Amino acid sequence: QKSVSAVVIDGYPARALWVKEFTNFFIPEVDKRLAETGEYKMSWQENYGGSIVKPRGVLEGVQLGLGDIGIVTTIFHSSKLPSQGISGSTPFIASDARAVAKAVDEIAREFPAMQNEFAAQNQVYLATGVVLDSYQMFCTSEVSSIADLEGKKVAGAGLNLRYLEGIKDAAGVRGGLTDFYNMLQTGLVDCGMLWPEAAKTFKIAEVAPYMLKADLGAVNSKTITVNADYWAKLPDGVKDVLKAVAIDYRDHVAGIAMDRAAASEAAYVEGGGKIIDVSSEDRAAWANAMPNIAAEWATTLNDKGEDGTAMLAAYIGKLKDAGYEGVRDWTAE
Amino acid sequence: MLKTTLARITRIANLAAIASNALGTLVVLALVVVLNVDVIARGVFSSPIKGTYEMVQFSVVMIVFLQLADVVRVDRLTRSDGFLNLLGQRSPNMAANMRRIINALSAIFMGLIAYITFPEFLHMWDTQDYFGVPGLFTLPWWPVKLVFSFGTALACLIFVLKVITAVDRPHLEAAKSENNT
Amino acid sequence: MTPIEIGLISVVAIVFLIYSGVYIPIALGMVSFVSIWLMRDNFTLALNLLKIAVGDSAMEYSFATIPLFTFMGLIVSKAGLGRDIYEVMTMRFRKVKGGIGMATVGANAVFAAVTGSSIASASVFTKVSVPQMMAQEYNKSFAVGVVAGSSVLGMIIPPSAMLIIYSFVSEQSVGDMFLAGVIPGILLAIAYVGAIWFMGRFTPNFVGGRIVEDTEWMTKREVASKTLPTLLLITIVLGGIYTGWMTAVEAGATGALVALIIAIVRRSMSLKGFWEALLETGHITAAILFLITAASIYSRMLGLAGLPNQLQDILAGNSASFWTIMLLYVLLMLFLGTLLDTASIILIVVPLFLPMIEAMDLSLIWFGIITVVGAEIGLLTPPLGISCFVIKSTIDDDRISLKDVFMGALPFALVMLIVLFILIEFPILSLALI
Ligand code: NA
Ligand code: NA
Repeated sequence: QKSVSAVVIDGYPARALWVKEFTNFFIPEVDKRLAETGEYKMSWQENYGGSIVKPRGVLEGVQLGLGDIGIVTTIFHSSKLPSQGISGSTPFIASDARAVAKAVDEIAREFPAMQNEFAAQNQVYLATGVVLDSYQMFCTSEVSSIADLEGKKVAGAGLNLRYLEGIKDAAGVRGGLTDFYNMLQTGLVDCGMLWPEAAKTFKIAEVAPYMLKADLGAVNSKTITVNADYWAKLPDGVKDVLKAVAIDYRDHVAGIAMDRAAASEAAYVEGGGKIIDVSSEDRAAWANAMPNIAAEWATTLNDKGEDGTAMLAAYIGKLKDAGYEGVRDWTAE
Repeated sequence: MLKTTLARITRIANLAAIASNALGTLVVLALVVVLNVDVIARGVFSSPIKGTYEMVQFSVVMIVFLQLADVVRVDRLTRSDGFLNLLGQRSPNMAANMRRIINALSAIFMGLIAYITFPEFLHMWDTQDYFGVPGLFTLPWWPVKLVFSFGTALACLIFVLKVITAVDRPHLEAAKSENNT
Repeated sequence: MTPIEIGLISVVAIVFLIYSGVYIPIALGMVSFVSIWLMRDNFTLALNLLKIAVGDSAMEYSFATIPLFTFMGLIVSKAGLGRDIYEVMTMRFRKVKGGIGMATVGANAVFAAVTGSSIASASVFTKVSVPQMMAQEYNKSFAVGVVAGSSVLGMIIPPSAMLIIYSFVSEQSVGDMFLAGVIPGILLAIAYVGAIWFMGRFTPNFVGGRIVEDTEWMTKREVASKTLPTLLLITIVLGGIYTGWMTAVEAGATGALVALIIAIVRRSMSLKGFWEALLETGHITAAILFLITAASIYSRMLGLAGLPNQLQDILAGNSASFWTIMLLYVLLMLFLGTLLDTASIILIVVPLFLPMIEAMDLSLIWFGIITVVGAEIGLLTPPLGISCFVIKSTIDDDRISLKDVFMGALPFALVMLIVLFILIEFPILSLALI
């Protein structure tokens, strides 16, 4: 029996859903499958919560070999990993983490773009993770429709700030997840874009008791990658197991995200929050007032020599096959 | 001859550190201005400046690495030199040699950082990688990577000069010699 | 070599180098670099650790509070606001031995409500109150010790960067953590005032200070003109944060601007003085953040060595009582506090202990306050005590050595430790407001 060592890194703490499931699902599952043949045994060292890298530093950490396997938060790297913006650039389609995770992961396998981008960072793509069901709009004062968001200051981060371009006079204010409670409590912003699980964790119901169920969509934000030099030295038996378990991990995490989302919405209501449904006409009006950021995304990739247009069409087609049709056809223009 | 060349290099290195320090100082000023304009734009006109967050992050790096060489020049890098001062009273030569060794060690450390970050600057220059969210606000990465290697390289040079000239605190020494004459 | 051995040897090496007079960031960085190189027999990996720590650690939004509050403090001090407010604040305490020290603690407690960082508190009050205490012939060690000790209030009384970091690691509400910090912060301030009274009574030489004559009383009008500008500043910074107009970073910028306007109106700021304040701000910021970067290189080296994992295994193998765990926890924080910054301590120890605390059904909010107070003791302890370094680099006065600062801060670190045990024993102090 040969021993293979692996240093796993993420800048987020061990308590974060995707990290916890890496420890409790990914690692035991790999060990179990390797034990079946008994040829190899992994020796794991897990380093989370900034003990080697900060959340933004995982990509570079894996690239430089400070970690062998990493959970890269892709939304930090829109320049190096432009194709990872696929679901963030196509809002108002699917709020199902499982469907989005599967579709993005298949796109990564069917088109070379995503794997090329990671290869340029000296790493091998394993699988996509989707850890939240959907961004929703949490407000401090009563709102009954999308129109009530006009002129409001809204906290968000990354691509979702661009969704606000579809709402008249709404101003996006950038904030980190841990700042949202304070920003809402103090009135720095009127609303914040979060997902229900984060809202439960940070007790957002206390300060923003009105959740407009805008269903902006689930977003891929995590990718499991392996340092390319490390990968090259791995025996094929271990490679195959890692690849297979990564896909199971993808579905496992997305499934938990969905279960938690349902429980979190219930907790939000229990904590004094009120969930306001939004009509699909309202959502369509919002989506149609937005610039076509999906087309912008495709153009960016086309300019880099990848087939962005085809990736976009294929991705939306996969979601459609899974039963999710958007309120706006992002491929139309 | 060697001495005048050395004096010239020292003067140029010190001037570079002072100039870089002034530049970093302007960044502090810019930080104050940008943040105040943003607060007013957001609070009074409900239209925050895009990219303030990224600009603030950038400016922190700029301030630190533009000023680093000058901090080294005036010997304000954090240290606990009680033992060295004590040694200096008993055996000035030994203390001076120890300061040289310490400065050499520091030069190596700064040099290592400059060496490892410089290719990153070239790479970022080539790829024109950016930071931020496309369509909202982006800044190129290369100035940050450049300032890492520039600041540490200059700090390395100043440490090397301190090893050669065996003078740790130039401004104090200068003041001392003025008083003596 | 086991990770524990590597950790211990590197600690010994760092302590040796720091005491030999090596610049502290250089000692931390070089020892970490060599440790990785030897441990993994991989020079490139060691270089890569430097690269990622430099790139990853400096770019932090909240770090901007350091130059901004430093700049504000320098302007306030150049404009003479510091002297004014101290004259007023010390008026009532003048006949008490160490009265101006008590006033410093009180002023720090107020200032803590407008800053999220102990570093800002330390740099501001070094400028504002050390010169006043020196002028009144207080013992220099006591003068800097009071500032160091009371600077920790900045990160216990909300808003606080450390409470935010903890709430993220432990998934607690930031609002709850902030509320939880109020009573412990005030308690610590009261304990400091008590300790100063005690020292004035029983170790008067350590305190120093001259008796102030009665002729120094001032009129109401004088008091108003000396306090109103400062009150305006505090109202704007404090009000800005609490009404939600500003983040702590923005409040720092606005505070700096308002301080500048006050200085210009009072004609106490020359262009040269303004430029000097900016230069000084840059020096302080660069020295502090370069140190924080080096500390992060060190804690990443420990991470690569697997030290946190090893500790976890050791702890998991033993089942122990409440006080055994707490004592172990406090000792670990004190030990790490000798060499690591507060944020690194929190990030290393909390994940180790959190599962145990949860299993014992203890409050995670209470645990957060224990953690922040415990980790902050490290700001005051040698060889790496960030608050003390900040004070040393802010005064830039050769009459006061780093050793003076550490010696002065020691009694306050002891008071903190006592308060920490009170907070451990009485969780209600942390939980009453929630
Ligand atoms: Na505070
Ligand atoms: Na310490």
